[in-house]
Parts: sequence; C-alpha cells; structure tokens
Amino acid sequence: MLYHSRMRLLLVEDEVEIQGFLKRSLSEAGYQVDTAGDGRSAERLATENQYDVLIVDLGLPDQDGITLILRLRQLGVTVPVLILSARRSVDDRVRGLEQGGDDYLTKPFALAELLARLRNLLKRNSSAGSEATRLRVLDLELDLLRREATRGEEILSLTPQEFVLLEYLCRNAGRVVTRSMILDQVWGMRIQPDTNVVDVHIYRLRGKVDIDGHRPLIRTLRGVGYVLRDR
Amino acid sequence: MFSETDKPKMRSAAWRVSLWGTLAFAFGTMIVFVFLHQFVSSDIQRRSDAWLSGEVEVLGDVAERTPKDALYGRVVKEVAELASKEVPDKQKTPDALNNSVFFLQTEPSGSLALWVGEGDGSVYVDAIKAKNVSPDIPSDLHVKGRPIPFRVVSDRLDNGGAIYLGLSERDELRVLRNLRFRFVLLWLLIVSFGAAIVFYTTRRMLGHVRKITEAASLIGESDLSSRVPTTRRRDEVAQLAFTLNRMLDRIESSVHQLHTITDSLAHDLRSPLTAVRAKLEMSLTGSVGSEESDSIVSAIEEIDRLTEFLNKSLDVAEAKADALRLERVEIDLDETLRVMIDLYEPSMAEKGLRIKLCSAERTGISADAALVHRMIANLFDNELKHLPASSTVTISLRSQDAMALLIIEDDGPGFGPEICSHIFESRVKGRGSNGRGLGMAFVEAVVRAHNGNIEATNRPEGGARITIALPQSTSQQESLELHEVALDK
Repeated sequence: MLYHSRMRLLLVEDEVEIQGFLKRSLSEAGYQVDTAGDGRSAERLATENQYDVLIVDLGLPDQDGITLILRLRQLGVTVPVLILSARRSVDDRVRGLEQGGDDYLTKPFALAELLARLRNLLKRNSSAGSEATRLRVLDLELDLLRREATRGEEILSLTPQEFVLLEYLCRNAGRVVTRSMILDQVWGMRIQPDTNVVDVHIYRLRGKVDIDGHRPLIRTLRGVGYVLRDR
Repeated sequence: MFSETDKPKMRSAAWRVSLWGTLAFAFGTMIVFVFLHQFVSSDIQRRSDAWLSGEVEVLGDVAERTPKDALYGRVVKEVAELASKEVPDKQKTPDALNNSVFFLQTEPSGSLALWVGEGDGSVYVDAIKAKNVSPDIPSDLHVKGRPIPFRVVSDRLDNGGAIYLGLSERDELRVLRNLRFRFVLLWLLIVSFGAAIVFYTTRRMLGHVRKITEAASLIGESDLSSRVPTTRRRDEVAQLAFTLNRMLDRIESSVHQLHTITDSLAHDLRSPLTAVRAKLEMSLTGSVGSEESDSIVSAIEEIDRLTEFLNKSLDVAEAKADALRLERVEIDLDETLRVMIDLYEPSMAEKGLRIKLCSAERTGISADAALVHRMIANLFDNELKHLPASSTVTISLRSQDAMALLIIEDDGPGFGPEICSHIFESRVKGRGSNGRGLGMAFVEAVVRAHNGNIEATNRPEGGARITIALPQSTSQQESLELHEVALDK
C-alpha cells in the first residue's frame, strides 16, 4: 500500500466521538490526519495546507458541508472530497459534486468501505489511464481481454458475472470489500438485501477459485466483508 | 394529457353554457315576438274593421236614399268603387281575381241584387249564406276559389235586403308576413351573434381555468415549487388561482416540514449508529475468529438491519404523505430485472427455488433507480424468505396501455387469509415471518410514488401473485409508436 503511506487528509466532522475514532482508524491505515470541527477552521486549514483528500461531513454547526466545498472550490482548492452524509437521501448538489470526481458515503458506514472509497478517490486522482490487461494475484491470473481466469495451469470455468466479481476482488486484493461495495461495484445497485445473496455468489466463486491443491484465496471477514489474500 | 379534452369542443363547459344561454335567449325573444305579432295583427284588424263599418254605413245610406231605378245600380257601384279606392295601403296586383274589395247587395229573398267586384258575385252570395253573416259585426269570409279570406261587414236595408262590403285580408296578411320575415332574419342574426359572443367569452374565461388545471396537475408528487398562473383581474378565476396557490404554499411548507423532521430524525439516529458500528468494527479487528467476535459480528449485522429498517420506515412514512423525493432517470426494467435475477438466482437455487423471466423487450420507465432497485430487492427477498423448497417464481414483464406491467407469481402457499386484505400496511407480516413487516409497505410506497398500481392476490391454481403497473416513459411510448408506423409500412 505504497501510495497512501504519506497521504495527508483533512477530516471535517463536528461530532467529537466520530471524529475521534475516524482519526484513529485513518491513522492506523497510514494516513496523516488533520481534523476540523466546523466550517471556518476547515476552510483555514484547507487553504493553508496541501491535502490529498478531504473528508467532509454535511452537517456542520456553522455551515452546510456543501457550502464549504463550493467555497473551497472557489478558492482554488481542487483536491477530491469524500462526503459523509447522515441525511436520508443524497441531494442533487451532492450528486453534482460526485460527477466532478468526488464521492459520498451515507452514515452509518463500514470503516472498510470508507477506506476503500478513499483509495478509489486517491487512485482516480493520481493515475488515470494505464489500464492493465492482465491482473495477477499470487497464482491467480485474469486475462481481462479474453475474459479468462487461470489458477496455475488450470483454466477456471467462470460465468461472465463471476469473472466480474473475481476481477473486482483482484483489483482490491489484500483489502476488505463489504457486501454493499460488491453490490454497488459489480451489480451497480445500492441496495441492502436482508438475505444472503452476495454470500452465495462468493460461496460459488470460492468453489471454483479455491480448488484442491491450491491455497485458499477468498477469505470471509464476518460482519465486515471479504478479502482476497495477496500474501 | 389535455389534448384529448381539447378536441371535442361539444363536451366543453363553454359549449354547454353558450348552448343553453342561446336557447334561453332564443326562446325568450320568440315569446316576446308572438305577443307583439298578436298585438299588431289585432290592431290592423281593428283598423280595417273600423273602416269597413264606416263605409258600409255610408253605402247603406246611399242605398236607402237612391231611388230604385235604372240608375240605382250605377250610383251605388260608383260609390262602392270610390270606397274601395280609399283602402289603406292598397297593393296593386296583376291578379284581378283577388281585388281587395267587393260590394254586394241582396234582395230580401237572398238572391244577388247588385255586385261590384271582380268575377262572379254568386259564389260570394253562397259563401255569405253558408256563413250566415250577422249584421254590423265584422267577420271572416272564406270564398270558394279565393285563397285569401275576406273581412265582411253587412248592413240591413229597409226593404229587407242587405248590403255587404268585403275587404280582402291580403294586405293585412302581407304586412304580418313581412313582419315575421324581418323578425326571423333579425332574430337569427342576433341569436347567432349572441351565441358566438357568449361562447367566446366563456371559452376565454374557462381557458384560464383550464390553464390552472393543467398547471396544477403538473405540480405533483415531487415538484411542489411551481404555482398555477395568475391574472391581474380580480374575478372568480383569479380568486381560484390565488386560493390554489395559497393551498400549495401550505402543502409545500408541511411537506418541507416533514422532510426536515425525517432528515433530522435520520441524522440523530445515524450519528450514534455510526459511532457504535465503527467501535464494534474496530474491536473486531483485534479478535478475529474468537468466540467473542461472533457476538460482535451479529451486533454489526443487527445495526445494518436497523439502518435499513430506519431507511424503509422513513421512506414509507414519506410516501404515505406523498412526499417521497424522487430522482427520476430512464430505467430499462427488462435489464434491471435481468441483473436482479442474476444476483438472486444462486441464493434461490441454494434454497431449491427456480426463477423464470418472461420478458421480450426493452421496457423503459422514468423512475428513481435506487428506489426501484430496492423495491425489486424487497420483492425477491420476500420470495426467498417465504417460499418452500422446489417452488418456482415466475417474473413477467410486458407493456400494456402505456404501462409497464410487472407480474411476480409463485406456486407456493400464497398469502395467508389474515394478511391478504391489508398486505401493504406497515407491520403486517405473515405468520412465521421474521422480518419487521415493512417490505410490502415499502414496495407499495415506491409504486405509489411513481404513480403506479400494485395488487396482491392469490392465484386460483395456488400461489401468490403480485401485479405492479408503472407508467412507461414517454420516449418509450414514442419509440413504440415509431415501431408500429414502421410495421404499417
């Protein structure tokens, strides 16, 4: 995880408790974290320092989070923003920002998801383009052009959907992906089924990928999600 | 939407108002005219009667005084002819037969003594005999061979005979005919002119009402910010627009209030949930695999369920108040269903359920994608949770009357009798269901928010059937029409 070892981010969140544990877990994940509890200090910090990403909660005591973001954009601060919202529906303005390369997350969220979205934002920002045509995780190899997966010498017979799911896991190898992330990224739906639909897909995929004689790659982290082992 | 009511003007209120108004006006003027006509005709008759009575007196006098010799006939004849020239407003006609005046004198025996007039006098005598004309009272006389009746006045002579003076009613009838003709002409003109004016004024006025209706119907589910058009005049229509706008203000403010309440409720519940979930997650990273972690995991899962329940409750509450916020985009239901079935098929297979899709073509709707996805997920979750093994779920999608018809059927036990009638109410759930009973209420809320219909029934051959109709998007309808045109060619 080289690319965020020296990453610096500004966390704008007014609720002390959430700010506290977010700072802790972000620091643990290797980020350098500054915090602000209101819009004014956030504006000062963001203009004085060079951040790689901002995490902004929409409900700030002195102003609306969107107003803060728009103000910062006016002041020439162009870093990507991850919006945290406790509102019910994401309003139009957030959608507009999202198109501009930012992202949003509704509370409550899984920490794994927060970290994954942060990584996505940073990746989008740093290296656009240069798409690989092959993915390799240990002895698992995916040919993205021929849509073919191999484990060592063996060709895995996957359905197109299973291939997309495995590709997503491979791209995030070594990191936790949650069920809602899988639903969002693989099926393109932000739904929260109260049945085990994603688990069954993973279970089937595992049956095809983790074949006898090879090291099991797909690990379940209960209550959190899944991770594809890369070590 | 309103182009249909535009076409048949016959059904519009403006048409009805002007039709009835015109009828009443035409009928009223007609009655007035009948009275007028009556008055004029009786007045004309009174005048001609007065003239007749005067003349017959003079003639009677002359007849009495003139000696009954050879000259008698000529004298009386000349006097009578002179009198006939005095007829008021006499019209000259080429038709000699219908000269306007006649004079005749009868013997005491009743036979013709003297005749001044056109044609043969004996037919007049016959008519007088048949009619039995009484002296001094003017009366109508119909003579054989003369189309127009005469007004006749008689006077008795001392010798027992009588004289008769007759005046054709031709001129009187002509005056009345002229009167009628002119009236009908003017009447038609006024009535049609009045009808046109009434029609155009009411149509103009009701046009404002129609504009208000159109605008009001567009102000709907999600958009409450527009207002109906107002005019500067201070009439009833302007009052209507004003009242409607005031009502919309109130509705908008209460919907806004509802949004504020649900938003702050969501916010106040979500922040602590976020904190709790994050804490649990962090404590989990240290202790994977231990027994302690199992309870932490189930706590996290419980929080996720609680969050989804919170979302659904608030959505259902907003939908019940017609205040669900929609982000409409073009969705192809066919494609959405295929993706959804792809997602659910393994879980269903795992439970021994089969799922079939009968859908042939693109079915576009304009809807909130996230809500529609969650709606279908809810329906599929329901089937997954409640169907016994080896059942089959059949999903069919087709277009019907500009609606996308989505039917979900199964051959399971169907809805229990205790929930069948109020399945879409919140917190109604079947026996043995472990959900919180919001699923179907949420589904109905989403359908309603999109102006659709939902129906849940038990199939006669066993199993449940849920029928959802959602309005198709206009572009879809247009493309279908184009398709049909192409087929016609």
